[in-house]
Amino acid sequence: MRTAGIDIGSITTKAAIVEDGRILGTMVCFSGYNASLAGTTVYRNLLDDLGFDASSIDRIISTGYGRNNVDFADKSMTEIICHGAGAHFLNPDIRTVIDIGGQDSKALVVDADGRVRDFVMNDKCAAGTGRFLEVMARALEVDLDDFGSLSLRSATPAKISSICTVFAESEVISLISKGEDRENIIAGIHDSVASRVFAMAQRVGIPVPVMMTGGVAKNIGVVKALEKKIGATLEVNEFAQVNGAIGAAVLAAKMG
Amino acid sequence: MESLREFHEVAQNPYRYAAELKDRGRKILGYFCSYTPEEIIYAAGLHPMRLFGSKEHIHLADKHLQSYSCSLVRSAMADVMAGSLAFLDGTVFPHTCDSIQRLSDIWRLNTNLGFFADVVLPVKLNTESAREYMIAVLARFKGELEEHFSLKITDGNLRSAIVRYNEIRGCLTSIYELHAKDPSVISGSDLYAVVRASMIMDRDDLAVKLAAVLHELKQKQGTGRNSGKRLMLVGNICDHPDIYTLIERSGAAVVWDDLCSGTRYFEGKIDPDTEPMTALANRYFTRPVCPAKHVSPFARGEHLLGQVREHRVDGVIFFQLKFCDPHSFDYPYLKEFLDRAGIPNMMLEAEDQLPPEGQLLTRFETFVAML
Repeated sequence: MRTAGIDIGSITTKAAIVEDGRILGTMVCFSGYNASLAGTTVYRNLLDDLGFDASSIDRIISTGYGRNNVDFADKSMTEIICHGAGAHFLNPDIRTVIDIGGQDSKALVVDADGRVRDFVMNDKCAAGTGRFLEVMARALEVDLDDFGSLSLRSATPAKISSICTVFAESEVISLISKGEDRENIIAGIHDSVASRVFAMAQRVGIPVPVMMTGGVAKNIGVVKALEKKIGATLEVNEFAQVNGAIGAAVLAAKMG
Repeated sequence: MESLREFHEVAQNPYRYAAELKDRGRKILGYFCSYTPEEIIYAAGLHPMRLFGSKEHIHLADKHLQSYSCSLVRSAMADVMAGSLAFLDGTVFPHTCDSIQRLSDIWRLNTNLGFFADVVLPVKLNTESAREYMIAVLARFKGELEEHFSLKITDGNLRSAIVRYNEIRGCLTSIYELHAKDPSVISGSDLYAVVRASMIMDRDDLAVKLAAVLHELKQKQGTGRNSGKRLMLVGNICDHPDIYTLIERSGAAVVWDDLCSGTRYFEGKIDPDTEPMTALANRYFTRPVCPAKHVSPFARGEHLLGQVREHRVDGVIFFQLKFCDPHSFDYPYLKEFLDRAGIPNMMLEAEDQLPPEGQLLTRFETFVAML
């Protein structure tokens, strides 16, 4: 059976196609203003990329905040459920998934069947999200893709104490004007994100092994900072950003 | 249901309703919290009206209150400053949480609404001296009303009030029970409007209209189907009817609650045959407690588990207004009770506004899918 998952996030939209337990392809594009269009486009492009006809897809599940904007999906499910299913598909031993996306962060506990048992979600502010990192990258004039490697060069991370994104940006600007090394500031930003996410994730207990998913998992600096807080290594794989879409495709195959 | 329209109107525009009552010559006492001895206010021929705050000019409260005061306290303060509560002939503050007490002080110093009373209730409800003290507190409140409004509250007045309140509370309980049996007979937001309006409307008029709603619901019984998950809402005050709608959209229904704007308002009957003041006091010792009161270390947890079992609840949503310290302190303990019993639960906090709908739906849908 060939199934697809479409994950419309706040910043990026992801698609994945799975067949009989194998990932055939994935794709990412920006969500932009029109979530529905982004969903259609990323799905079409992935089909074209793989040389598939839409009729060859047996079932589609949409997920993410824009999940109800995909009119050709058979069903929609929340990204929390899909991230649990995706992580379980990639490694059935995983018990905690920490997903940091563009506008929120989540921690969820999955059981041996990949079912979500408990979850927490930061829906109050941008601190501890991908958007926070984007704001900081702009203030520092650094490409976000270089954030991770730059921060690893820091010996003494700066201290960012504000928990509000806007105030933290002011704090970063003060550090810049004081002449603090860019590496140290970025490492401080990563520590700040890790502290926020760890504080929240503790509420579900964080059973190991832990997988990190979502776009922010691509940032090695945040991953290392979070590993230090949790006291365990985080499994991060090449599918971190598209994990929700993979989970949606996996769940589509299980639909009765 | 046509009979529900007035409940919605009153719930949405309580101050307009109050203005109409005022025009008919009624004297209105505003109150906070379900621990207010409403029966005595009613017995005095005054109209007791619960204040929720309209959330309209909440920023005005910043002049007097810190941002860590809950949105109920801030919103009520803002309303009185904006002049929206000018219809009140007085205000009653029962002693429950710190914020309501401090609001009482600021209110007394900065408003001029006539009657003002702090009803300093006992905190520990498991001693004989607390019972004596409670009776004395209620008697003092009665005396204050009599003096200020130059009237006499007789035992006969109190007995009629007890009969009326038993009737109202009995009706609300029956409506809740019908809904718990078959959630499709009345939607969550309709039920919300009924209970909320019950704290606002003229109680004699209310008793008639509640009985009519109950009668109508009984006719409807068994006509609907509802296979959704059964949830319970537990917390302080729920002033957000959209929560019920969003939960229903997520494939579940709130079949019972432990809210001060829900069952804690109407649970507990008053014995009509006991001496009235003693009977009134007794209800406070038997009704389910809020976390600002103490009966035993396990009372709230055991009550919660009892309700979960009685109403076949699949999952519990803890809902509270942010910065409510009594409820926040009780949350880990109540969560432990549920976790040990294997009852899934989640926590949701809100202020004067709910979190964005998209994220709220994500949380509700995930929770319902977990059950």
